[in-house]
Amino acid sequence: MNFLAASIESLGAKVVGWFTVGYGMFAFLAQAGLLLLEPATWNRATFDVVVKQIYFTAVQILHVFLGYALVISWLFITIILSTARDFGLTEFASEMTIRVLVLELLPFLTALFVALRSGSAINTEVALMRVNNELDALAHCKVPPMQFEFLPRLIGGVVSVVTLAGLAGLLALLMGYLAIYGMNLAGFEAYTRTIAKIFDFRIMAGLIAKCALFGLAVTVIPVTAGLETPKKLFMVPVSVLRGMMRVFFAIVAIEVVSLALKYI
Amino acid sequence: MSAVAELPDDVARVSLDLPLRANLSALDNIALIPLYQRHYGAADSARLAHAMLEQLGHAAIALLRDSDMTPAQRFIAKLARALILKRPRLVIDRPGAMLYDVPYPAFIRQLAAQAEMTGSWEIFDFRWNQALYQE
Repeated sequence: MNFLAASIESLGAKVVGWFTVGYGMFAFLAQAGLLLLEPATWNRATFDVVVKQIYFTAVQILHVFLGYALVISWLFITIILSTARDFGLTEFASEMTIRVLVLELLPFLTALFVALRSGSAINTEVALMRVNNELDALAHCKVPPMQFEFLPRLIGGVVSVVTLAGLAGLLALLMGYLAIYGMNLAGFEAYTRTIAKIFDFRIMAGLIAKCALFGLAVTVIPVTAGLETPKKLFMVPVSVLRGMMRVFFAIVAIEVVSLALKYI
Repeated sequence: MSAVAELPDDVARVSLDLPLRANLSALDNIALIPLYQRHYGAADSARLAHAMLEQLGHAAIALLRDSDMTPAQRFIAKLARALILKRPRLVIDRPGAMLYDVPYPAFIRQLAAQAEMTGSWEIFDFRWNQALYQE
C-alpha cells in the first residue's frame, strides 16, 4: 500500500514538475513576445547584441556547417539515387531527394547542430550568470536582462536556424541536380518544375515555421533551464543536462508533429 | 550586514554580491549603463566609460575581463560602474572582501580623491575593522 502511495506521489510530483517547466517556458516566451512589440526594445544596443548573436551562432560556423551539409547531402543523394535505380524508380529520385533532404533531414540536423553548439553554451552561460549573481548585478544597474541577454539570443537562434537550414537546402538542391543530371543544363527545366511542384505556399510556410520553432526550441529551453538553476555551482552541469534533454525532446516533437501534419 | 539589504533603490552599490558580467571587458561592463539607461550610442557609451576609468586613474584595465583582473582592478571596474549610475549615494559593501590585495582604507581614500564626484560615498564594514579607518 505504501509502495502504491509513494508511486502515485512520485508520479504526481513529476507531472506537476513538467507543468511548472512548461508554464515557465511559455510565460518566458510570452514575455519575450510582448517585449518584441514594444518600440523601446528596438534600440541600437539591443540591435547590436542581436547582430553579435547571429554572427556567433550562424556566421562563425558557416564554413564548417556547409561542409557538413555537403557531405551529408552527397551521401543521402547517392543512397537515394542508387536505391531508385535498383528499383527502377529513377524518375522519382529528384522528388524523393528534395522531400527527404530539404524538407526533413537538413532542418532537423541544423537544429541539432545549433542546439549542440549554441544551445548548450547558452544554457551554461545563463546558469553561471544566475549562480554568480550577475543577473542581480544587472538588475541593480537597471540593465534589463531580457533585452540585453535573452531576447537577442532568441532572435539570433531563430534567424540562424532558418538561414542555415535554407542555405543547406539550397546546397542540397544544387548537389541533387549535379548528381542526377551532371554538369549540363539538360535537366534544368524538369528539375525546376519538380522543385516548383513540391514547394507550394503551404509547404514553404510549414518549412519556415518548423525552422523558426526549431530556432526557438534551441534558445528558449536553454535560457529557461539556466534561469531555473539553484544558486549552487555544482548544479550548473545538472542544469545543462536537463536543458539539453528538453531541447532534444522538443526538436524531435516538432519534427514528428510536422511529419504527421504533412503526411498523415 | 542586513543594513545593506535594506538600502533603497537609489543607492549605487559596490559589493562582492554584485559581480561584473564575466564575458564583458571592464569598459563594456561600465558602458552598459549609458547604453541601456540613457540610450546613448555604443561609441558615446564607450567614451564615457573610458573617461570614468581615466578619472579613477586606471584606464589600462579597460580591455580586461573579470577573470584577468586583480582584486583591486576588479574593484575599480565595479566602482566605475557604480559611479556612472550617477545615484546620490554610493555604498561600498564590505571592501575587505573585495580588496584583499591592497591596504584598502588608504586605497579607497586615494580613489575618492581622484574621482571628484558629486554625492556621498559610504563604507559598510564590520565593526572590528573600524580601527583600520582611523589612521
